[in-house]
Amino acid sequence: MLEATTLIVAQTTVLLAVSPFLVGLIRKVKARLQLRRGASILQPYADLAKLFKKQPVISTTTSWIFTATPYIVFASTLTAGLLVPTFTSQTPMNFSGNIIALVYLLALGTFFLILAGLDAGSAFGGMGGSREAIVASLTEPAMILSIFAIALTAGSTNLSTVVHKTAVLEGIMTDPSPHLMALAALFIVALAETGRVPVDNPATHLELTMIHEAMVLEYSGRHLALLEWAAGLKLAVFLSLITNVFAPWGIATTVAPAAIGIGLLVYIIKIAVLAVLIGVLECMFAKLRLFRVTDLLGVAFILALLGLLFFYILRS
Amino acid sequence: MTEARHCDDILKAAFPAVRQNDPVCAKSSHFLVPKDLLPAITHYIHTQPSLRGRLTLLWACDHRPVRDTYGLYYLFTLEASHHWVVLSTELAGTDRLFPSITPHIHAAQWYEREIRDMFGLIPQGHPDLRRLVRHEHWPKGTHPLRKDFSWDCVLGRQQGEHRFRHIEGEGVFEVPVGPIHAGIIESGHFRFSVAGEPIMQLELRHFWKHRGVEKLFEEQTLIGAVPLAERVSGDTAVGHSLAYCQAVEALLHLEVPRRAKYLRSLFLELERLYNHLADIGAICHDTAYALAHAHCDRMKERIMQLNDRLTGSRFLRGVMRVGGVTRDIENAQLTEIVEELNRIQPDFSEVGAIIFANASLTDRLETTGILHEQTAWDHAVMGVVGRASGMNGDLRRDRPFAAYDELPVNVALYRYGDVRARLRVRGDEIQESIRLIRELRGRIPEGPIANEPSCSPNPGDWTLAAVEGWRGEILYMVMAGEGGRIHRCKVRDPSFVNWPAIQWAVLGNIIADFPLINKSFNLSYAGNDL
Repeated sequence: MLEATTLIVAQTTVLLAVSPFLVGLIRKVKARLQLRRGASILQPYADLAKLFKKQPVISTTTSWIFTATPYIVFASTLTAGLLVPTFTSQTPMNFSGNIIALVYLLALGTFFLILAGLDAGSAFGGMGGSREAIVASLTEPAMILSIFAIALTAGSTNLSTVVHKTAVLEGIMTDPSPHLMALAALFIVALAETGRVPVDNPATHLELTMIHEAMVLEYSGRHLALLEWAAGLKLAVFLSLITNVFAPWGIATTVAPAAIGIGLLVYIIKIAVLAVLIGVLECMFAKLRLFRVTDLLGVAFILALLGLLFFYILRS
Repeated sequence: MTEARHCDDILKAAFPAVRQNDPVCAKSSHFLVPKDLLPAITHYIHTQPSLRGRLTLLWACDHRPVRDTYGLYYLFTLEASHHWVVLSTELAGTDRLFPSITPHIHAAQWYEREIRDMFGLIPQGHPDLRRLVRHEHWPKGTHPLRKDFSWDCVLGRQQGEHRFRHIEGEGVFEVPVGPIHAGIIESGHFRFSVAGEPIMQLELRHFWKHRGVEKLFEEQTLIGAVPLAERVSGDTAVGHSLAYCQAVEALLHLEVPRRAKYLRSLFLELERLYNHLADIGAICHDTAYALAHAHCDRMKERIMQLNDRLTGSRFLRGVMRVGGVTRDIENAQLTEIVEELNRIQPDFSEVGAIIFANASLTDRLETTGILHEQTAWDHAVMGVVGRASGMNGDLRRDRPFAAYDELPVNVALYRYGDVRARLRVRGDEIQESIRLIRELRGRIPEGPIANEPSCSPNPGDWTLAAVEGWRGEILYMVMAGEGGRIHRCKVRDPSFVNWPAIQWAVLGNIIADFPLINKSFNLSYAGNDL
């Protein structure tokens, strides 16, 4: 019990601490690739600190949903983060949920964000909400299928078990093709879910092209801080998921302090590498036309499905 | 000249009631037309296959205190010969009505609404008589360009509501955007009617920051108004001040030294370069392709720093004066310009190659925001936007000014009318500007850079001047008043004509692509909202 509690506290701290760093790192990479010096990697921390100090402005036409949403989104994303192994293969909330819980915890946050976008009554919120609904409904099956492809190889939908088995190379097939398919699918899903180029542009000022930003357009002060932090958390969750499910090696498989120390270091390096990769990708591509996003997510779905099929073909 | 006589003869044969007047400037004809004949004759000029006149400018003038009449002036550019035909008519006494030509000539619609707002003259038969420049909160009966309206008069406010056109139906929503935007852009209101994402209708509502520029001109002297012209649109300081200077020089019968003419062309091309570079970067930026944006901005910054070194102003302000230019560019500096451009050109060619080779970017640009050739013709669209839609017009070639009579210009022309075509026109024009500047350095003569004006014009004399700025043709009509002052100055930035065309270019596109289409037009809010 004590161990579980310690783990929950430790993983919460790590996730909260590391997520603004990832956002700052991506921005820095993009800036460097554009020949700009860019803001410090630590800038997102300063932004959060500033926003928490500011008073939120709330439109008089909004209902309780608008005020509750930042807390719901933040809490659900953080809880989802506790279901994903980060630096140790033991997830803190191992007992309470599996992959499916993870997917729907994230969906809960998205659902409330869409509601809040509509709630403020601005034209942009509704527009962002409807776009987010399209994207979310298409990412969900692709995400579930790709994780299932992995779950089948490990024989469990529990992420701890999946990661642990992969880390110690137990019961893993020699042919990695289901993994690779699923990896590609999950990476596309991650880009779409976290609102990165080519699906959404987190840096845009153009209200009419926004997806995620349009929904949070009416937020300010600590509410905005929570939403920004939650967006960073979601990014951290996806990057952790990708690194640990597909390349868990180096993760702490025991609770020995040395193993955990190494696990933490390796974890941070791995997600930082992924963040740099995202930053590079964002510089290489233009954003897709809105209606082409469905094509991209269709590709993700097909890849995930192929991953599943390959598993059965290779087994027989 | 035969071309001119030819068109004069056609008009006089078709309409015996018109009287020919002395031309107001080179390559133009001027006719006095009875008011009732206006719709017929304008329609004739616009549609007659041998004339094909494009409505280029329509303005009014309060002739008081000299005589108690309002003048209405219609300027057409004939398609083949680029000859100007000016039609004018007068409203005497208490007559405040004139026949609208909008039912035949679409391009007249904003001009006529503007005249109604600024002068209180009513275009009879105009299909849309809502206020344009004077928003509804302006008190009834305030018409700023009438001579009995003082420039420093403080207006009250009245209640009023602008009625937008509505589309009704299941699932049709209106999306109001602006006039306050999330980014650093000027104030304009865009009212979309959308069914889901596709745009069914867009209505513009501009003119939020009326500065009274044309009224302020009337408080200035002919010689002294150059700084005001520079500030009509901040990014077109050279284009506007050059057009204004040319008009005044024509009134003063002032010859500009050859060297000054070359320097004027140089400044105009430098302005074109930095703006086109910024535009290409900004179009890419709106598709989230940040790499091209960063590189274009870097090149733009280098040109602006070059401008600063040459003239002391990054925006090339303060270089024009009536009679020439204010500062000479020494030969060493000309070499510096060409060397800088030699460094930028390969850079730009490389970025251009990257832009047009990037599949994800091409997918965003192609078929987005198509402005069809016919729509462009109907709205008399010109400049960069026009040349991307097959409107083959460039004043540097068609009606050469400054040094362009000795510097032939190759005009970029595309027909697809989509965002990519507009991007291509800009890319080609950057290369052409660099070529022109190189050629100009080889040909520039030695000599003085300005002539002093010696005479003053007769009150009531007026003339027209046109300059191909980086956005398109900039027109100035200047009428002299008493004692070297300005009686009336009509300013026409290309934005005023091209803005309404956006409403057609966006139809059928999705609302998420509007910012990109708008950026590819990149029209001036300030130049439009005088």
